[in-house]
Amino acid sequence: MLEDVMSFETRDVNPLALAPGMKWTLLRKVIPFWLNRSLPMRAFSLRKKLKYAGEQLNALHFVINEAAGVAHFLPDYTSLVQLGTRGLRTRIEERLARGELPHDGKEYLEASLLVLDSVERFADRYRAEAERLGRDDLVRVLERVPRDPPQTLREALQLIWLFQLVIQIESVDQGISLGRMEQYLYPLYREQISRGEINDDEVRELFAAFCIKLSEVIPLFSRRATEYYAGLPSGQALTIGGVDAEGNDAANRLSFLLLDVMEGFKTRQPNWHARIADVSSPEFVRRVSQVISSGGGSPALYNDDVIMPAMVLRGNASEKVWNYATVGCVEPALSRESFTSSDAAIFNLAVAMEWLFGNGQPLAKDSRRERPWLREIHSLDELLDRLETQTSERIGQLKTSLDAIERAGAEYYPTPFSSLTIGGCIENAIDSTRGGAWFNATGIQAVGVADLANSLAVIDELVFKKGLYNLEEIANACATDFKNQELMLARARKITAFGNDDPRVDELANRVALLFDRCVSQHSNTRGGRWMPGYYSMTCHQGFGQRMAAMPSGRLAGRPLADGLAPVDGSDMLGPTASLNSVARLDHTRFGNGINLNIKFDAATVSGSEGCATLEALFRGYFAQGGMQVQINVLDPAVLEQAMRDPDSHRNLLVRISGYCAYFVDLTPAMQQELIDRTRQRAR
Amino acid sequence: MSFTAPIFDIQRFSLHDGPGIRSLVFLKGCPLHCSWCQNPESQNRAAVIAFYRDRCAEHFECEAACEEGAIQRDGFRIDQQKCTLCGSCVEACPSGALRLIGEQHTPDQLMEKLRADFPYFARSGGGVTFTGGEPTLYPSFIERVLDLCSTESIHTNIETAGLFSLERWKSILPKFDLIYFDLKLLDPEQHAHHLGPGFETVHANAIALSEIKLPIEFRMPVIPGITDTEDNIDAVARLLQQMGKPSIHLLAYHNMGEAKIDIIEGSQPRLGLARLSDERLAEVQNSFRERGIEVLGNDG
Ligand code: SF4
Ligand code: SF4
Repeated sequence: MLEDVMSFETRDVNPLALAPGMKWTLLRKVIPFWLNRSLPMRAFSLRKKLKYAGEQLNALHFVINEAAGVAHFLPDYTSLVQLGTRGLRTRIEERLARGELPHDGKEYLEASLLVLDSVERFADRYRAEAERLGRDDLVRVLERVPRDPPQTLREALQLIWLFQLVIQIESVDQGISLGRMEQYLYPLYREQISRGEINDDEVRELFAAFCIKLSEVIPLFSRRATEYYAGLPSGQALTIGGVDAEGNDAANRLSFLLLDVMEGFKTRQPNWHARIADVSSPEFVRRVSQVISSGGGSPALYNDDVIMPAMVLRGNASEKVWNYATVGCVEPALSRESFTSSDAAIFNLAVAMEWLFGNGQPLAKDSRRERPWLREIHSLDELLDRLETQTSERIGQLKTSLDAIERAGAEYYPTPFSSLTIGGCIENAIDSTRGGAWFNATGIQAVGVADLANSLAVIDELVFKKGLYNLEEIANACATDFKNQELMLARARKITAFGNDDPRVDELANRVALLFDRCVSQHSNTRGGRWMPGYYSMTCHQGFGQRMAAMPSGRLAGRPLADGLAPVDGSDMLGPTASLNSVARLDHTRFGNGINLNIKFDAATVSGSEGCATLEALFRGYFAQGGMQVQINVLDPAVLEQAMRDPDSHRNLLVRISGYCAYFVDLTPAMQQELIDRTRQRAR
Repeated sequence: MSFTAPIFDIQRFSLHDGPGIRSLVFLKGCPLHCSWCQNPESQNRAAVIAFYRDRCAEHFECEAACEEGAIQRDGFRIDQQKCTLCGSCVEACPSGALRLIGEQHTPDQLMEKLRADFPYFARSGGGVTFTGGEPTLYPSFIERVLDLCSTESIHTNIETAGLFSLERWKSILPKFDLIYFDLKLLDPEQHAHHLGPGFETVHANAIALSEIKLPIEFRMPVIPGITDTEDNIDAVARLLQQMGKPSIHLLAYHNMGEAKIDIIEGSQPRLGLARLSDERLAEVQNSFRERGIEVLGNDG
């Protein structure tokens, strides 16, 4: 943060205005205070601190998101709206009275009461201000909120927002997720409708206002951090749809009203997510498709029929997984009782190739031509073994740092307020940072699956099968960014990449993904939960890629890695069905912490009723084959303009031209321009 | 018994040649030679090595790989007399600048490739579209593929220019879920000039098919100055009325095909036409509507 203090207003990505005098306060007071008190500073000895800071400022191997705090959970708002703070207080007092407390248990529970007090007083001050402003409606709401269980939707939303806000102040504003709102608020909605107190338009308006509040949360990231997480994400996920406890379609009238809000009122937050099950009603799925085709990329879609088994595989109780919701970007977790630190770290899997080639040295700075350690590798299996050893070692380093951070978090920064809303903490009388939740886990994400798989396919073909080169020559070409190696580069790029429905390379991608699973899943966290793998990148594929040398796949130095679990940009040449088939070929039941697959269409392909039907067939076909998640983007003209300037990265961009689909880069410049103009007209 | 047919492309995720998500199977070979043909590489039945000049990096790996000495560096020519279509040059070319177009497939081989998209066909009501070239050149092959598709409940349709032996096709055509039949030029001389042989057959087939009540839809490519004359529109409209099928799809002309002409040693003269303007298309639609013909959409 220190680096950016002077330039918050003027930096080109995500500029932020500071209030007058704020800069001074930051420099004189806030930063000096936290300099020695931040989590990493508490976690490490001096020597390790320096090493850690060096590593994380220019992260190439992994970024530890948990260094800012855990956050990332689903507060139990179901209980909250039934209890209010009075009810929570009773729970705590009963627990205290019951006794048999663990070490520090009494102190923890008393701290909980203290923070409950504080939040009630916070609400009282808010009510006083509302009175001063003459906002009688708000004053009436705050007469019940937060102490008593809400009797109206408005009161419920006010209560949830209060908690949402305070949790994000106490912990960190990342991934505090709202869960299945349309499920736990449905009883209130139904009662109010039946009493004739509210109509659907008013419900939509309430939720729209709630979305504005959610969007007001802006995480303060430095410019460096923005390379890894561009777009100021706060990851407040809101899940709709899915199944109920009996396995039937759970979508209700409120789900449809929320879809209306999504469509008609596009805001930065929440992260809208829709669960789709085989039993989801055709009306629900159709409406979801319509909302997606209206643009904006919402909602992202989650496949119940894969996610629930994947969660059971990670130890979640099979009779509970029907009630999962998503956390943060894409991570499935049990509602009400899990604390999964699902975004603990993002790990660069692709860089394993570079470590192997450079024998531990960054390849770009390595001018050695002799690499005898590569001479012992004679087959793909041996190569994969070496990559696994490399990965496992770095995961071990990550584990050491993460453990230290977890311990420091539990020691110096417990989160008693957040813990009030996590099932298990009060009952166990243990804070969530120390393992109080009923279910604990840690999620580590891999970036670069496609890049590594493509590189393996190239090495297999050119080195092991055809013998055109040896591994040393490939490594040297990567070190020099393929200078004077145009022929090798062309050969590498001709080899079929992941994303073209070719079982050979898709199988390699699966092996790479499972390699990561093995390296990650052998570890546990300090809260008594297991590590599990996720496959998404936020924008770390850019941040990591910028710092990497070339790869055997033909990806040049500094270029971004593939986004999440998607094929490398521009490498899937056979259209979306082929690309989805490739992704679905991976074993998603192993991907317990979720995946992200981003796909893009131009507006004309997916608009109208036929376009919606196409979209629906695409994601249902992909889900039926075992795909876990997909986010569908409808393109804007700016992307088409980029594609015109940089065709190589956009070879897969499909567009509709007066009645048929074509690859944008295959069109003449004049035709491309025409298309851009048309898209612009439509966008207006 | 195995029949084969030369296929020069399978285009997946096509949305505009029949209902739903479809795979287009382009069969190579055509008895007509429309002057505006979108797929000039499809006219000849024989396989050919196509050369994409813009992708060539001039390393001449191909020349070294060719055992027949068929590749001439000078001006980059493939000597079709010498070439045995062995494919070595395609394999050797690092840039993907060479492609073997028109590989023979058995019905099973084709089905294997189509199968990948069955999950999407099933959920969108889509399926397989046979196009070309002129798919009716391969009745035995297509009949077998149709039978295989029908056991998997895959929707099928065909795009034909109508020049085929009705005798041979009478028993096969009812197996399609949809037939697109192109009406291009209804004046015998114009037909002969722009399309080549077969005017009487095309005309007779159109009438015969509408009489046996197959799920047939007629289409007309709107080629500026060639098919969109008042006389031709008039004749097409009259024929549709006479057949009791007063509706038509209009296919707007686009000139993307011309870029492909350099690829093979084609003899195709360049038309030099601009793509059909939206205004002109609207006028043609109106002309049809004035004559009582429903315009089914301008896809293509
Ligand atoms: S091998 Fe390919 S790139 Fe090289 S000269 Fe031949 S066609 Fe061109
Ligand atoms: S296909 Fe075979 S014979 Fe023909 S040009 Fe290529 S290498 Fe030579």
